[in-house]
Amino acid sequence: MSRSGLVDRFSLPNGLEVILAPTPRSPTVSVWVWYRVGSKNEWPGVTGASHWVEHMLFLGSPRYRKGEIDRAVIGVGGRLNAFTGNVFTAYFSTVPREHLAIPLRIEADRMTRALLAPAEVTRERTVIRSEREGAENWPEFRVSETVDELAFRRHPYRWSPLGYPEDILALTQKDLAAYYHRFYGTSNAVLVVAGGFDRGAVTRTIRRRFGPLPRTGEDPTVSTKEPPATGERRARLSGPGSTPSLTIGWRQPGIADRRIPAIAMLDVILGGETALFRIGRPWGSSGEHPSARLYRALVDSGLAVSATSSFSPRIHPGTFTIDIQAAKGITLERLEEAVLRETERIARAGVTRREMDDARVKVRRGAELAYEGAGATGFRLGYFAMLGPKGFERALLRAILRVRASDVQVAARELFESASRVVVGYDPTGDGSAG
Amino acid sequence: MSDPLVIERSERPSGLVVARQAAPAFAPSIAATFVAPAGYAYDPSGSEGLALLASSLASSGAGRRNRIELARELDRLGGTLRTSCHPESAEVTVWGPRASSEALVAILADVVLAPRAGTADLDRVRRQLYERQLRETSQPESRAERELFRAVFPPGHPYRLSGVGSRRSIGRIRRSDIARFHHDHFSSEGSFLVVTSARPLQAIARSADRLFAGLKGRRGPKLPQLPTARTRTGALPPIAMPGRAQVEIRMGGPSIARGSEVYPAAYLANEILGGRPLLARLFQKVREAHGLAYHASSELEPMRWGGHWLVQAGTGPERTAKVLKLLESEIDRIRDTPPSTAELEAIRTSAIGEIPLGLETTSGAHEFAVDVTYHGLPGDFYRAWPGILRSVRPSDVRRAAEIAFDATRAATIVVGPTV
Repeated sequence: MSRSGLVDRFSLPNGLEVILAPTPRSPTVSVWVWYRVGSKNEWPGVTGASHWVEHMLFLGSPRYRKGEIDRAVIGVGGRLNAFTGNVFTAYFSTVPREHLAIPLRIEADRMTRALLAPAEVTRERTVIRSEREGAENWPEFRVSETVDELAFRRHPYRWSPLGYPEDILALTQKDLAAYYHRFYGTSNAVLVVAGGFDRGAVTRTIRRRFGPLPRTGEDPTVSTKEPPATGERRARLSGPGSTPSLTIGWRQPGIADRRIPAIAMLDVILGGETALFRIGRPWGSSGEHPSARLYRALVDSGLAVSATSSFSPRIHPGTFTIDIQAAKGITLERLEEAVLRETERIARAGVTRREMDDARVKVRRGAELAYEGAGATGFRLGYFAMLGPKGFERALLRAILRVRASDVQVAARELFESASRVVVGYDPTGDGSAG
Repeated sequence: MSDPLVIERSERPSGLVVARQAAPAFAPSIAATFVAPAGYAYDPSGSEGLALLASSLASSGAGRRNRIELARELDRLGGTLRTSCHPESAEVTVWGPRASSEALVAILADVVLAPRAGTADLDRVRRQLYERQLRETSQPESRAERELFRAVFPPGHPYRLSGVGSRRSIGRIRRSDIARFHHDHFSSEGSFLVVTSARPLQAIARSADRLFAGLKGRRGPKLPQLPTARTRTGALPPIAMPGRAQVEIRMGGPSIARGSEVYPAAYLANEILGGRPLLARLFQKVREAHGLAYHASSELEPMRWGGHWLVQAGTGPERTAKVLKLLESEIDRIRDTPPSTAELEAIRTSAIGEIPLGLETTSGAHEFAVDVTYHGLPGDFYRAWPGILRSVRPSDVRRAAEIAFDATRAATIVVGPTV
């Protein structure tokens, strides 16, 4: 069930899109600002800029000196954070409802007037490096980064939102300030307020706080198109770790493509769930799916300890991946054969009616409780606003539920072609410890 | 009763304690948890990993449903089933839409009373635990914690281990061992059923009597003996893990139980030190003031029989010495000097103010109910909690920190690329 029937949407004259989702009895309110800027807007030399700017927006503006944003929100018992992806950057604060004015004031202030002070940029560089180094400790991060590097030769999806280490060392305060002033602003943002509040009063506050802001912020179309893949690309990594793993990716169309609903169903049937409509947690994996095809073929058979698929909801063509962790003594070659056997089987023989029925139940049930809580509501409304126009979530859900078994087979046949395949294996060299 | 902060309880004729919390009125879901004295403290010697294995197998089929039928039924109901295993207890939780409430609690009862994992399930979960064992030693974060707790708790102590056992001990466990463990530990004595729902307590209790009737007459396990041998303290030998990008630092040691009289002040001491995200001293000093690391925080984990504390940070090898010094000085400061009234007040206001955020969802509210029930706290504990926190003085915080972050039993370890 999408929330579109209970949601108010309007735009301010300066271009800011506003989405209000009141739940009158909720004791909390969640304020989200989503900017249509992410690593898709970067280019070699400034990779990681979107993420770094995200950090800088907590470190000073005319009204809030460094640390004051954290103190203002957490001081009243609230939570706040931000994250940067390929296609968006999002900031959120969830506070007891009587403190709604605080996050609205903060977001209006830092939307166009963050200071990005040179001393803070310098200090934050080490923090950003540390964040990246922490990720590099995980084999999964190295594999995922390699998959993107192989899958994309030109498109900015090639690099992680964390950026390349050499760019983190080289980016200057001037670069970051220019990036911020170019992409941040009212005409490139969506403000979402969800939870316990009075619609009229909040509308007036938003007009007063955000209305006077200048119309700034570009959302330039990313014109770089990835050329058609002309053959399989492979890499074999090795390094510290415990478990051999294999990731196979295929080029997947952008979120607005007519084939996406069938690909989402394919994801449910192969891996057990799909990111946009899953039962349980609004983000992250929700656990094991013993009835899913990959699980049965790989985990039940003793070849693997985990097996999942991931459809990536991105604006531009992305990758559909299958991730497997090998069971002890199983070679990556054997795993690859088993995975390809499954993808070929689904492309050749299609799916059963029962699988389709089960997948529809999962998607429908996943959508039903997706809006529980102010935080999840703010996340969901903003997230879908980044991916498509008004009504996009509802339309996508309907389209997924209308998918026929034959559509899934056609989608599998088109998706799992070897020319766009990327295969990355990881061989652990042991725990690497000398102690 | 419709206040989610008040938990009602009823001890049933079988001995099972049933607790009920009102689900937040605007939340469309329910949650129910069965908590049993089935944590890895009860692993028999030589069968380490048994409790976790039994817990992990709980979703492998129950009653008349095999694993796939169980998963399909949960999907049909729109619900989830989760299991977790801690040192002292194991939990099974169902969550899902209100309309599926009865059916989900019935599944929970099946899982508790009639698990039916087969040999293939045991083999599969065993393989998964082997992988967890390997990962625990190969990731700097988990390796650092593992080595720290192995140093500060004596052999045989349940807080010393993560419950995953060894390849040998897991390999030795048979289905009959699991069945016996399950029968002995999932009993009415010492177990709780906690339900967060709009249904009244009497209705929930009547359902529980019917659904969990099979627990009747089962006796709970004996409490394990906790060893008190001497442990290692101070700086532990560093562990080099070449090829990694970041060093992980962990400091910590044994701490207070939840029932300790200094718990409220110790809770605030930990929030001031590193527990309250973004506001706490460790984050402010290590990241915001000096820009030395992405993360620096602390945890206080009080359980029934005792607890532990942990300070953690990850940083580059060239910055490790500086970070270590900052962490040590902040731990000393919280033990030695009372916080200012203003600092204490800021943290306290934040801690009290966040209570409504826990009530935003059924699963958030449910955590309060499980906590109150497990620790035997008064049903209106979270109503009283703000007043308890307000009564804590700066001098109480210092004194509690001295006890909870006991320097004489603490150790430090550094794990990473070049240490």
